[in-house]
Amino acid sequence: MNVYVLGTATHPPAIAQRGLRLEEIAYHTAHAALEDAGVSRQQLDHLTLGACDELDGRPISSMLMAAPAGGFLTDEMKVTDSGAMALCLGYARIKSGEFHLGLVSSWCKTSKTDVEYIMRLRGDPFFSRPIGLDMTTADGLLAQAVSEAFGVTEEEAARRAVAGFERARKNPRSLQHDVPSVPQVLDSEYAATPMRALHRAPMTDGAATLVLASEDFVRRNKHLKPLARITGVGWASDSYRLGASRLRSLQSFQKAWAQALAQSGAKSPDDFDVFELESQTSWHEAAFVRALAIQDETKVSPSGGPFAQNPLFCTGLVGAVEAALQVGGRAGAVQRKNVKRAAAHSCHGYAQQGNSFVCFESVESNP
Amino acid sequence: MNDSKNQDRVISDTISLRYDYALGEVAGKFMDGLKEGKILATRCSKSGLTYLPPRSFCEQSFEPCDSWVEAGLSGVIEQSTVVIRGYEGKRATPQAIAFVRLDGTDSAIANYVDGLDLSDPRAAMKRIAPGTRVRVVFGDKREGRITDFSFELDEGGAKA
Amino acid sequence: MSVAVIATYQSDFKTSDPTKTFPEQAQEAAVGAMKSVGMTPDDIDAVVFSLAPTFFMGVADADRWSVDHIFAAGKPIFRIHTGGATGGSAVHAAHALVSSGFARSVLIVGAERIAETPDAQKVLNLIFDAFYERDMPLSTNTSVALQLSRYLQNHGLTEEDMAQSVVRQRRNALSNPHAHLKGEITIDDVMNSKPIALPLKLFDICPRSSGSAAMIVGDESVAKRFQSRPAFINGVGGVSDTYWIGDRVTPTSRTDWSSLKVTEIAARRAYARAGITDPMREIQLVELYDPYSCAGYQQLEHYGFCPPGVAARLDREHVWDVKSGQVAVNPSGGTLCTNPIAITGLVRAIDAASQIMGTAGSMQVPNVRNALCSALGGIGQFASVTIFGAEPASH
Repeated sequence: MNVYVLGTATHPPAIAQRGLRLEEIAYHTAHAALEDAGVSRQQLDHLTLGACDELDGRPISSMLMAAPAGGFLTDEMKVTDSGAMALCLGYARIKSGEFHLGLVSSWCKTSKTDVEYIMRLRGDPFFSRPIGLDMTTADGLLAQAVSEAFGVTEEEAARRAVAGFERARKNPRSLQHDVPSVPQVLDSEYAATPMRALHRAPMTDGAATLVLASEDFVRRNKHLKPLARITGVGWASDSYRLGASRLRSLQSFQKAWAQALAQSGAKSPDDFDVFELESQTSWHEAAFVRALAIQDETKVSPSGGPFAQNPLFCTGLVGAVEAALQVGGRAGAVQRKNVKRAAAHSCHGYAQQGNSFVCFESVESNP
Repeated sequence: MNDSKNQDRVISDTISLRYDYALGEVAGKFMDGLKEGKILATRCSKSGLTYLPPRSFCEQSFEPCDSWVEAGLSGVIEQSTVVIRGYEGKRATPQAIAFVRLDGTDSAIANYVDGLDLSDPRAAMKRIAPGTRVRVVFGDKREGRITDFSFELDEGGAKA
Repeated sequence: MSVAVIATYQSDFKTSDPTKTFPEQAQEAAVGAMKSVGMTPDDIDAVVFSLAPTFFMGVADADRWSVDHIFAAGKPIFRIHTGGATGGSAVHAAHALVSSGFARSVLIVGAERIAETPDAQKVLNLIFDAFYERDMPLSTNTSVALQLSRYLQNHGLTEEDMAQSVVRQRRNALSNPHAHLKGEITIDDVMNSKPIALPLKLFDICPRSSGSAAMIVGDESVAKRFQSRPAFINGVGGVSDTYWIGDRVTPTSRTDWSSLKVTEIAARRAYARAGITDPMREIQLVELYDPYSCAGYQQLEHYGFCPPGVAARLDREHVWDVKSGQVAVNPSGGTLCTNPIAITGLVRAIDAASQIMGTAGSMQVPNVRNALCSALGGIGQFASVTIFGAEPASH
């Protein structure tokens, strides 16, 4: 059962979305995605959410969020790994043949709480929490591992960060951060060596929704024009432990990619025209680009990736929207030419413990 | 490999998380209304439904609510309970609470029911049975918080 | 493509287990399920972790901490969280992974350590809206009390009527080595138990249990290798209602919260997929998610086993008794006797599926061809229903 993207929406990003409740952000985004797709909420038969209670500020946050995200009286379930993981599950639900039209929604207001406090809460109480393991520390360890494994220097990481901010400036959907210079990045203070403050994508508030449909639904509604077809998904988790071999191996990244690639019918990364990578830091990007052996780096995160907007939990789902827009020819000022295949990557957990990939292909016409 | 010496060993941690909840599009206006002695609801012209607590969008139509309505200051109890086992940080128990559908609205809002003799909780339950009419009473000091008002039995009014 | 239940495991449930950490509990269940049918971690393609709020055990995203313990490193794994319905949704998510062809076998696993904090009530108060509801003593208990006041009045029922389910199920639980609460009690014992929020007393309410559970599901090829008598997942159905309680109790409500009418939608969807048209005739056994004495009756009514308001009356006629009833209801004792929130829905599914597989031990009911289980979450907001069959349903 083929699965199509009928429409998408991302909420206008902000450093701090103070005027809106989380439910209102999710509602506006879901509503916009339904309009983009040309279908109504009443037609939906399922909803897959990605959200984190701790970041949302309520235990069982989907109680308040399910209906605003489009789930009133529909078959809704929620994953807690990442927004992109919700897309993987949403895809599987339609592929199973049991569901035909659904939303995938995710959101995050990083401004509303102390994110690093929550990251420390994810540390096991016996070995990790006493040393204050958090996102900064974990990403610092990853940067060190990447530097050792691949010979990545602080300069390369600085150049990549600047390039990310520059690409983001061209993206109409981005926050338009100021672009630092390479010396400014290298002068910024260390967050956790060798990672500097400006190597990191700033956190923002945002939301994203995709409308997914089965081939049956698309056939029955010939007036609708799908944006993209999802051709493969993959996800995997590394060990929780942060040993050097785990950090250097990028094993779950590779496994997730291999699984998605195999399903997509393509042979290698060379067959893809765009990779939207969730590079939380430019060290991540340096590692990912090498792991995929990407030769032509103009394919990498034309949207700017997390340097365009970084609503942490759903950054990867925003990347999926960007990838779908690319194959659909609707990415606007950052559109690359002749995009047939795009891949969206997301990561979650300490030092990218978990990774996921979703592959998209362009749709010539409504089948 | 169970060492009985390890049985009761624990590592303790206290977690206190602070959140800044945005009031958003409508909650702020509702809270301001309370200070003025009004209970403000939102209405969706597409579905015809009026919501309390006020909402920025309508569940049924999935469209934004497009007008504000002042709810009546009396209404009917949809459900109620007398809470015996209480919580830190809330009023000391026993306490009566009820979801009340105020006149002119289509959904019920929760608050304490005051003015009841709670020494016999089961008897009190009968007095606040679903269908009973109550009226809104505002406190003297209002801070723009849901506790600025509570319900009392509407002794003069007819049972719905 | 049919999806089969290959193996199950549940620990014994009690208030707390200080001898194990959370990942060790999850490991016990994962290993227990695999070993019961001779599977190894290499035979597991993907993992679904069943875990609801982690505020009780104080480690956020504890599923990630557990990855190595459950042999999931290098595998696809995600965590499902739909409040109390989590375990049921986890089964549905695993079903999707197998029936979509993504995985041939999926391990569903989870654990609960609710006694890690003494502040469970404070945590549960936090699920309510910060502006409009948290100042009131709203909680899972008080909100069900609100609902029950209406349900009893609507149908002319009494607290004594509700107490029957507690008596029957605590007695059923005597046959369940895993159950948390069990024993012979009377209606008077229930009526005299401590009032919590009227009309609910202590005995009308489930315990808070700790423990772990796992289920392995797979396609035909995996079933052929490891399980000669699988249970087939023939129907899945889920639904989420609006959050706002006040919207669900008025004349314009789409669903009537006072009787948990939203659950009917989940059952209807599951029945349609399973081809069930006459539940009372086709389903021999139900394992219902009933954390309160009224919840089982409400679901029996909405799942089509009897008309609204009638289930408690039929209890007096022993219609729901395990041995001599028309439908065996909660032979395990149900959620009234055991409620390890993160995995309760999974335990319901295990208790239902094992009856079909003939592995229910001293709880075994003979000749179960179809079984139903349910899971509820939020404040009567999320519902999932699963239908298991001895034969795969034809689509």
